[in-house]
Amino acid sequence: MIRLRAMLWATAALGLPGLAVAQAPENTIVTALSADITTFDIAQVSERGNSNIMRHIFATLQTTQPDGSISPDLAESLEVTEDGTGYIYTLHEGLTCHDGESLMAEDVAYTFNRAKDPENGFTGNVPGFLFSGMQFIDAVALDDLRVQINIRTPNPIAQGLIAEVMIHCKDAYEAMSLDEAGMNPVGSGRYRLTEWDRGSQVVLEAVRDTPVERLVFRIIPEASTRTAELLAGNVDLVTNVPPDQIDVIENAADSSVYIAQGLRRIYVGFNLSEEFAQLPGGDAIQDPAVRRALQYAVDVPSICTQLLNFECERATGLVNPPHNHPDLEPYPYDPDMAEQLLDEAGWERGADGNRFSIRFQAGRDRYLNDVNVVQAITQMLQDVGVDVDLQILDWASGYVPLIRERRAGPMYFLGTGGNIWSPYIDMNDLNSVEAGTNYTHWDDPRWFDGWDVLRDPSATEAEREETRLEMLRVFYEDGPWLHLYSQPDFYAMSSRLNFEPRQDERVYLWTATLD
Amino acid sequence: MWTFLVRRLLQSVVVLLGVTLISFISLQIGGDPTYLFVSENASTEEIERARAVLGFDRPLHIQYLSYVWDVMRLDFGRSLTFRQPAMDVVLAALPATIELTLFSLILAVLISIPLGIVSALYRGKPVDGGIMTFAMIGQSIPNFWMGIMMIMFFGLYLRWFPISGHVPFLVPLFAGDFARAWANLPQSLHYMIMPAIAVGSYTLARNARLVRSSMLEVLQQDYVRTARSKGISETRVIVHHALRNAWLPVITMIGLEFGFLLGGVVVVETVFSYPGIGRLVFNAINQRDIPVVQASVIVLALVFILLNLIVDLIYARLDPRVKL
Repeated sequence: MIRLRAMLWATAALGLPGLAVAQAPENTIVTALSADITTFDIAQVSERGNSNIMRHIFATLQTTQPDGSISPDLAESLEVTEDGTGYIYTLHEGLTCHDGESLMAEDVAYTFNRAKDPENGFTGNVPGFLFSGMQFIDAVALDDLRVQINIRTPNPIAQGLIAEVMIHCKDAYEAMSLDEAGMNPVGSGRYRLTEWDRGSQVVLEAVRDTPVERLVFRIIPEASTRTAELLAGNVDLVTNVPPDQIDVIENAADSSVYIAQGLRRIYVGFNLSEEFAQLPGGDAIQDPAVRRALQYAVDVPSICTQLLNFECERATGLVNPPHNHPDLEPYPYDPDMAEQLLDEAGWERGADGNRFSIRFQAGRDRYLNDVNVVQAITQMLQDVGVDVDLQILDWASGYVPLIRERRAGPMYFLGTGGNIWSPYIDMNDLNSVEAGTNYTHWDDPRWFDGWDVLRDPSATEAEREETRLEMLRVFYEDGPWLHLYSQPDFYAMSSRLNFEPRQDERVYLWTATLD
Repeated sequence: MWTFLVRRLLQSVVVLLGVTLISFISLQIGGDPTYLFVSENASTEEIERARAVLGFDRPLHIQYLSYVWDVMRLDFGRSLTFRQPAMDVVLAALPATIELTLFSLILAVLISIPLGIVSALYRGKPVDGGIMTFAMIGQSIPNFWMGIMMIMFFGLYLRWFPISGHVPFLVPLFAGDFARAWANLPQSLHYMIMPAIAVGSYTLARNARLVRSSMLEVLQQDYVRTARSKGISETRVIVHHALRNAWLPVITMIGLEFGFLLGGVVVVETVFSYPGIGRLVFNAINQRDIPVVQASVIVLALVFILLNLIVDLIYARLDPRVKL
């Protein structure tokens, strides 16, 4: 399919120099997205494209900047209680929601508590990820402008997670049913919703000072159609550009591709559970020396350049730069070293040339070129004598249940979202042996005991940093991941758009301008 | 006639039960969909709570029977992703697909019948060869490929048609906003031409071949020869005598093809970013939004059943030999 598309686009490119490019509407940025918008309720949204649009409609207490720093938004200041479990935000004066209602501390408290209320049955990212990540208890308005967010235990990532929660007013939402709230957002942000043509487009109009008056988000599921709309001048920004279409966009006169080093960490996990230790190959990977040997067997830079169309540096752990361990070097591609280490670990080649067999599971079409990547990894492992049984499953029906039940493997391919503002949130996937995201069942106490120090409010910053770096070293040497890369994000833009995409997949257009 | 209608009605109930059961089982084979609706970091308790909220904590047969009972009371459940009544979501997407399907069917019929007749009349001549080659190509080209090619050449290079999108016609029409519907019509057709050709090319090609073979058979019949011997004009012989009889198998096919086209719009709706029921179902299956899939299946099955009924009635009207 990819080859066919590439061929078609190469054919089309021959005709492109003759194009007279049409222009998208004036003072309007048109963005092409791949996925349908399903809701405008801040407590129900879980998809990145959907929340990117909503973030234009709803403001947050604080906001994460592209460089990872956290700056004020609705709140002008923050103080943390002595025991580290209360975050007190003071709001700016004179804030209003789009319907004119004043935005006060009780509105913020209502936003948080409404999302938490089990009666509402929300399954979005706010109750499902942010609240569970920060161990949210409740929110209380202390006075008109001060609101306190209470969490169960001190948590180094709580501030960043709170900064993700979009805020709305109380009265408007109390007056609406859940159905109505999902379709009629009454926001607090820079833009308001003026049109939602389900499955087609979302139109926003500026309510506060922003360089661009209108934002149009068009839903175009097919990648080649998004590219065609960009080349025709009908779209200014395209997200999720497939690597095979980069050349044709770059070669066109009025468009370019921006490659953002993304934060989604792609890795091969080793399932170390007792159950999987009984499976072929499951016993071999219990030995950290075998896991370390396999690191040398995979040529990650070649995978990046050949299959993903970008130059990458191999990851050294689960934390994105700049918070990764500064002294750790990426494992080089050295199949001879891999073979030597496997011999030393007691897994010598047998008469059939194989050291051991192992099942390798992956989902289809979730990550950039994922099928080709896992096939390449399989071949590289086979080259050093590991007989890999690659199983590629349908993402939604086959792979997700296995992953969520922590029963994928013994080797599995996965990506997990990352961030730039704190190393701890990247490490949070493995915050306990029993964590739902510890798909590996890894239980090394040198890692998991470290969390006691990281969570201790009495620990100094130096103690935390020392512990963190030691944990990352353990993860690098004996950890349960075969380190790969952070997935790049490809954005295509028209020449009239001035916009610098972020690393964290957030597309916030209030800073963008048009020529 | 009434006996026939009652019998068909009862058959329809069985068909509806069958399709809902099959689609329900098909979706459940993929395992518990709860994981798709909770965060990666959700605890076991949160997953259990979400499972209960979504209704997946009950035994499968109870889930199905409960669903059937709800459907009998016209409660089709709530979309798990849109958090809206599932039938509302489906009915909102249906008009766009009906527009596209009807337009592509009309295009296919209007073009295929003359082509089939001309081909039959010039059997063995170059024009017949040309038309049949065209028909063979139409049947062979996958519609997604044809869609992409049309986007590149007619949308991007020649700029004759919009590359993607949709302007509604039926929605304002059904809402009683006739002025808006009328105003939208030219734009709506402009947006639909490329997707309609992509959807209808197979039907066009197949119908052209069907009309040709049917006409060839009818043109050999004694009554056509008799008509010609009476000195009736060739046009009248073809239109009133031959085509009237050759038309019958085509009518049957057209009825069935409307359902076929409804099912075939999935890929085309995706390629042209057309917000119809095909894309909705495709996404709902991927997201395991079972109520939306079930509601769509019921609607599509009803459309199919209704069309078959209409075809049968028309067939009986056109062919006096058929008794209902």
